[in-house]
Amino acid sequence: MTQNTIRALYKKLIACYPRSFKDQLGESMEQTFNDLYKEKQQTKQPWVGFVLWTFLETAMGIWREYLFVIFQGDIMLTMLKTLGSSTLISLLLIFPFMIMEIINRRSFDEDFPFVLFFGLWLNLFAVSLVLFPIVRALRARKQDMTNPVATQKNTPLTNPKSALIISVVLILSVILLSFLASLGWQPLEHLLNNPNPEGPSVFGIQVASQLIILILLSLPIAAGIIASRPIIRKLQTGGSLFAYPIHLIIVVVISLMIVTGVASLIVDQWPCFIGVPVCD
Amino acid sequence: MSSQTSLPPLTPAVFHILLALSNGERHGYGIMKQVESDSQGNVSMGPGTLYGSLKRMLDSGLVMESDKRVDPQMDDERRIYYQITGVGTKALAAELERYKRIVTLAQERKLFPKTYSV
Repeated sequence: MTQNTIRALYKKLIACYPRSFKDQLGESMEQTFNDLYKEKQQTKQPWVGFVLWTFLETAMGIWREYLFVIFQGDIMLTMLKTLGSSTLISLLLIFPFMIMEIINRRSFDEDFPFVLFFGLWLNLFAVSLVLFPIVRALRARKQDMTNPVATQKNTPLTNPKSALIISVVLILSVILLSFLASLGWQPLEHLLNNPNPEGPSVFGIQVASQLIILILLSLPIAAGIIASRPIIRKLQTGGSLFAYPIHLIIVVVISLMIVTGVASLIVDQWPCFIGVPVCD
Repeated sequence: MSSQTSLPPLTPAVFHILLALSNGERHGYGIMKQVESDSQGNVSMGPGTLYGSLKRMLDSGLVMESDKRVDPQMDDERRIYYQITGVGTKALAAELERYKRIVTLAQERKLFPKTYSV
């Protein structure tokens, strides 16, 4: 293996670094490797071990750099903050109803309705995933109007046009599946209603059905989250909440639908929460 | 506690890079050689570690790129040089102050077989 081949391979390895790192330090790093390799050759030291160790050490550096970008970057921190706040607030909101259920129905010989409260929590969690980032961006904008975040390159999810297309496609998928379900479309009926009677079940519902229902429920939530991304980005750069009205309408409609679903469920189960003996 | 020591501690790699740059600007290879020399061969870092640390240091203002020029002691290729900044100098001073206090503490507790004057 010639010197030029080794240098070319190292240059290709450096190309695996994240773009910002590569642009800033790639040339210098390549030069340093060349200097080290030349030193090994001039001092007639064994170079095979050096090359292997350097390539491995650099590969680990690339790994560390990607981890740093992921875990230190704003996107991951914001995502983790949103997930944490959404989980906590959803739990706090259903907690009073859980207490009511436990206290008012303790004399009845009934199982605790885990599925009901999981469903309540999931819906509240979903709506907060959609709305919290917008609220956070609005509050940050109010606090720091003089120092907006510098404009960064758009991704497919933050580009208003592509975000709109993706969220509309997701919503249309849900509408289509709901329409097919209402017509009694056999494949969907089969999937939802015990596709495999021998398969595992949790709280009496087949795991496969649960997964399919979760996937179907997650489509409108994903549509809401994707539609909200350009709005959040606009707020972060000092723009208006109403800069993308169609996106805002999608977010509001999906959030209202989820909140209406939660409210309906609570109203429906209210007799149970207050301890009415035959409430279902 | 002095205001200098309120700066956060440095990782060993960052400390040695700042030490290497404290007496003049250097390119990447020069930094690696100086670190080896300063530590008497006990600390050696590969390009991945060096440049990973340099990235953090450039982002936090401890060092900056100074120039791109030929090293007269090497070949004709132009190399990017790095220099320590005022912030980097303060961070290095704070770290050395921390080490000095630890050495003093170790002396008071008679943990060294010899006495080091600081």
